[in-house]
Parts: sequence; C-alpha cells; structure tokens
Amino acid sequence: MDGMFSQLSVLGSSLVLIFGLILLWRRGVTAYIAAFRWQSIVLALVTAIVAYFAADHELYWVAGALLLLKGVVIPGLLKRMERRFPAERELDPYVNTATSLVVAGLLVLFGYAITRPLVALSQLPTRAGMPLAMGLVLVSLFVVISRKKALTQVVGFLMLENGLALLAILGTYGIPLIVELGVFLDVLMGFLVMQIFIYQIHETFESIDVEQLNHLRH
Amino acid sequence: MGTFAVLLGPPLLAALLAGVVNPYRRFVGWANGLLSLLSVAAAVTLWRHVVAGQVLTSGSREFLRADALSTLLTLCVSVVAALAAWLGPGMGDDDGYDGAQARRFRIFGNLFAVTMLFAVTSNNLGFMWIAIEATTITSAMLIPLHVTKASVEASWKYILIGSIGIALAFGGTVLGYFDFVNLVGRHDEALNWTTLMASAPHLHPQVIQLAFIFILIGYGTKAGLAPMHTWLPDAHSEAPAALSAMMSGVLLAVALYAVIRWKIVVDAAIGTEFTNHLLIGMGLLSLIVAGFSLVIQRNYKRMLAYSSVEHTGLMCVGLALGPLGTFASMLHLLNHTVAKSMMFFLAGRVLHRYRTTEIAAVSGLLATMPWTGGLFAVGMLAVMGLPPFGLFMSEFALFRAGFVAGRPWLMGLVLALLTVAFVSIIGHLNRMLYGASAGGVPVGERPAWPLLPLGVCLTTLVVLGITLPTPLQTLLDRIVEVIGQ
Repeated sequence: MDGMFSQLSVLGSSLVLIFGLILLWRRGVTAYIAAFRWQSIVLALVTAIVAYFAADHELYWVAGALLLLKGVVIPGLLKRMERRFPAERELDPYVNTATSLVVAGLLVLFGYAITRPLVALSQLPTRAGMPLAMGLVLVSLFVVISRKKALTQVVGFLMLENGLALLAILGTYGIPLIVELGVFLDVLMGFLVMQIFIYQIHETFESIDVEQLNHLRH
Repeated sequence: MGTFAVLLGPPLLAALLAGVVNPYRRFVGWANGLLSLLSVAAAVTLWRHVVAGQVLTSGSREFLRADALSTLLTLCVSVVAALAAWLGPGMGDDDGYDGAQARRFRIFGNLFAVTMLFAVTSNNLGFMWIAIEATTITSAMLIPLHVTKASVEASWKYILIGSIGIALAFGGTVLGYFDFVNLVGRHDEALNWTTLMASAPHLHPQVIQLAFIFILIGYGTKAGLAPMHTWLPDAHSEAPAALSAMMSGVLLAVALYAVIRWKIVVDAAIGTEFTNHLLIGMGLLSLIVAGFSLVIQRNYKRMLAYSSVEHTGLMCVGLALGPLGTFASMLHLLNHTVAKSMMFFLAGRVLHRYRTTEIAAVSGLLATMPWTGGLFAVGMLAVMGLPPFGLFMSEFALFRAGFVAGRPWLMGLVLALLTVAFVSIIGHLNRMLYGASAGGVPVGERPAWPLLPLGVCLTTLVVLGITLPTPLQTLLDRIVEVIGQ
C-alpha cells in the first residue's frame, strides 16, 4: 500500500515539475496557460491521492479548492488577458532555450542537494517527491528572472506557488486548513491585482514587455 | 479581547466607511482621523499592560497575542497610520488628489494598516504570513494613485518582487512546520509561535537552518535588505507621500519583525551564531549598497528610500550583537519610524510645491517654504544620526554594543559606511536648501496646519535624543527578554 502511495506521489510530482519546464522551451503564452492549468490539475490530484491514502478528509476540500481556483478560475482569467494581447509572445528572452534547459537541470540537482536533510528526516511515504517540488520552486524563480513578458512572469510566479503547495502536501500532508484558506485568498487577490497592473502596463506602454520598464534607475 | 478589537476595528471601519460613501466626502477623512486615534489608544493600553508585566491574548488558542515585541510594533504602526489618516489625501482643498483618488486611498490605506496591525499581533506564524502578503496587495494598489509611466513601472516591480519574496517566506514557514510535524505530529496549533517555542530546542538543526534562509530572503525582500531591495527605491519614490511614510516608516519594520519572530525560534533550536552571521552579512551588504547609492542620488525621495535601506541594515547588524545590540536595534526601529515618516510627509509637501523629485530642480527651499524647509533640514540631520536626536542615541548604543561584543572591526566598517552616507546626504541637502528660489514656484506655507503634527514628530525625536522615559526603557528591556529567551 505504502509502495503504491509512494510511487503515485513521485509520479505526480514529476509531472508537476515537467509542466513547469514547458515554460522554458515553448514561446507562446497559450502553451504557458495550458501548462499551468494541467500542472494545477495534477497538483490537485496529488492532494487527493494524499487525502485518500492518509485518510484525511479535510484534504479533499483543499484538492477541490485547488482545482477550482488554479485549474479553472485563474487559467480562465489568464486566457481572457491573452485574448486582449494576442501579439504578445516570448520571442527573445534574456536567456536562450538551450541554456535555460541546462540551468533548469542544475537547479533541480540543487533542489535535491538542499532537500537532503528533509528527505532524511521525514518518515512519510511521500518524502521522495520533495526534491522535485523544491526543483520546481527554483526553476519558476529562474523563469521570472529570465523572461520579459509580464504575462510569462505571472505564470512563473503562479508555478512557484504550486511548487510550494506541493512541498507542503508532500512534506506535512498540508498546512492547517484554516491557514490554507487564507493562503488561497491571498493568491487570488494577488493575482487579481497583478492583472490590473498588466492592463495598466499595456495602457501606458502599449505592450506588456517589461524591458520597457527601465525608467527608474539608481 | 476588547483592546484588540479597538486596535484592529477602527481602521477596518474607516475602510468600510470609505467604501460605502461614494463619491468621496470630506467627513470620511475626518472620521478616519478620529478612528485612527482609537487604534493609538489601544496600542498605548497594550504598552501599559506590558510595562505591568502582562501579556495580553485574545481568542481561542491565543489567536492574538501582544508581548513586548508586538506592542512596540503596534505603537509604531498605529501612530504612523494616524499621521497618514490626518495628512493623507482627502483632507484639504488643494492637495493634488481628486475625490476618487482620496476614496481609494482611504479604502486601501486603512486596509494596509489593518493587515500590518494583524501581522504583528497574530500568534500564528501562518496568519502572520497571510497578513504580510496582504500588505503587499493593499499597498500596491495605492502606488499608482496617479497613473504615470514611472508609477506603473514601480508598482509592477513592487508586486512582482514583493510577491515572490513573500512566497519564499511561505516556503520557509512550510519548512518550519515540516520540522515541527516530524517532531510531534500534525496539530492545528503547530504554527502558533508559543507552541513552536515550546518544542524549539528539539527541532532538527539542518531543516530549521534551511527554513530560516528562506524566511530571511523572503521577509528580507519586504524589509528592503540588499540584494533584494531593488523594488524599494522605486516604490517609495513613486508612491503618494502618505503611503511612502507608511511603507518606509513601518512596513519595513513589520517585515523585520517577522524575521525576528523566526530568529527567536531558530536561536532556541541551534543557538544564536547561525542567525547572527546571516543578519550581519545582509545588514552589511545593505549598508554598502545604500551608502554608495546615496552618493549618486539625484532624486530626493529615492534618497530617503535608500536611507531606509541603510537603517534597516543597521537594525539587522544590531540584532546580531547580543542583548545590548537588540536593545539599541529596537530603539533605532522606533526612532527611524518617527523620523522617516515625518521626512516622507515633508518630501510630499516639497513635491507638491515644486512638482519635481529632482534634487537639482529644488533650490532655495528655505526661502520658498521656510518651515517645511527648516523641518526637512533638521529632520535630515536627525536621520543622519546627529545629536541631539533619538537616532544618535540608538546608533551610539549600537556601537557600544558592538565593542562590548568584541567586534571592533565590524563597527569600524559600519561607521565608515555611515560616514559615506552622511557626506553624500549633506551635499544633496545643501543643494536643496539654499540658492535662488526656483522660478514660478509660489512662496509660503499653505496649508500650514500639517506642520503641527510633523513638529510633534521632531519634538519626539529630540526628547528621545535627550532621555529615555522609564515606560519605554521597560518596554525595550522586555523585548530584549523576549528575543533572548
């Protein structure tokens, strides 16, 4: 039973990480949104799997909320933004695709290195997935730094949050429910404010390329 | 219960009122101003309890809790929020903001104050995180109150970098929770600071170290520590004056508070050496970056912002210097809050008159606005740490702590960096104060009444520079006990 639980959770975590890597080699925002949607669905699935094997009914609510918020609502809002700016593609990132993939590989390795004490300490069957979650956190951070479109940066930020949510699920079977609800609320509000700002950037700069945001120096 | 309700309720009520009354009416501002005084009174009540040796708590499982450390922060936040309520948009006729902007300020400014007050009184470190994340959202809404290219750019950098920093702090919180869960099992109160402290000595050293690194980078981003400070000068210089005052005066302190809360847990687990090294490293880097950025500064609001980076760095160094250093650092936090919020309000007056933030374009300030210019000059001297102002006393105490702790080289370096900042600020200040009045700028102080509360700020700084009142001394002593436990 534990063996199957362990394998399923690692499989799920790997999928979550792979959807994160799509940001590094695809150029179109459509692909990013799809990757984020599927990543969130798999994350909700992993949460449901943990809920089932750990017999923790609260976690089904968390899985449901994840699915609704990050699998449906936020991708829907992202889609609407994409339709407003159809010409915005990530054509010329600060770091090219080949280098990005190498860096991502190194970051995942680094994720393994820093989570070693965690994996050694934990007794949970899900512990083997934690390095992958940490890998996703680091890769998402790299995406935000190395990409130029505001929309890509937002997707990178959302994936970073997914990585942290995965880390919490795998390492502790989820933080206390009431705190989790507050976190969801913050994610939603934060996303909505970012959306307002992207529209503002588009109105004032007539593009969402953050390379133009370079007036404030020193 | 009652005290906490009076602390958190009024700003919430004021935000609600501003939301309901549409379009904006002047009485909303007045109500906001009066309500903000209730919060200050509640904070003073907490202070009296702390001096009497009590720790007030409220709700089931000590949901809210105000020990000495929380109390100092509630005092700072509520006072600056009150200043912002009285001096913010929507109180005068010609303050450069229309009704819609004033309404937006009243809604989000008050929500910003509530989230900060909740962050420093929440016993649960998870809720503290939620509240600090919410401060990013509420304050970001106010930066582009005037939509310009610069303010849009600043708000984007702020929300993106701030959110990512805060997300990393969430990672640190999860890692801390992970460590706890492995020790005693899952448990709804596990994120309560008091619960964590009870089992802190048995936490796993490597895991809690990793957690603290995430916490320090995460909340350090919000506290404006280098190298994650890049959003700060943009946001603080583009935001409306009242928001800059709140961000620079207390938001940085609230983020530093979050770091301190975790530092206490980590110190109880593995001793102070690990956190002290990290704090000194980050503090020094902030002092270096701020010192040299001040040299090349051409914008007076950015000058004030970099000065905040400098002072936050100084507080970090102080926290790493044992009980004496902690005492000095917390006194410095209070002094900096008073001085910097006053300076940003004054800078707002200068900006409103001269319509520019360029140092070179502001000349003859003393001739144009004698009182504002005078206060600005004296306040700047206070910020630089000259006697007879409070910041001199706290910096002096900090250096003394450093020498007692046997770190003369570190103190020498800090002193050299403070000198760099000092020399460059003096140069900038000279350029602004003297010279011919810029053409087309009307002379005189109108409206003059906002100068009164700002004068009170300056008086406070002078008092703190001459003496340390007993209640304050007791409060700081108790904070040292909390941090050193």
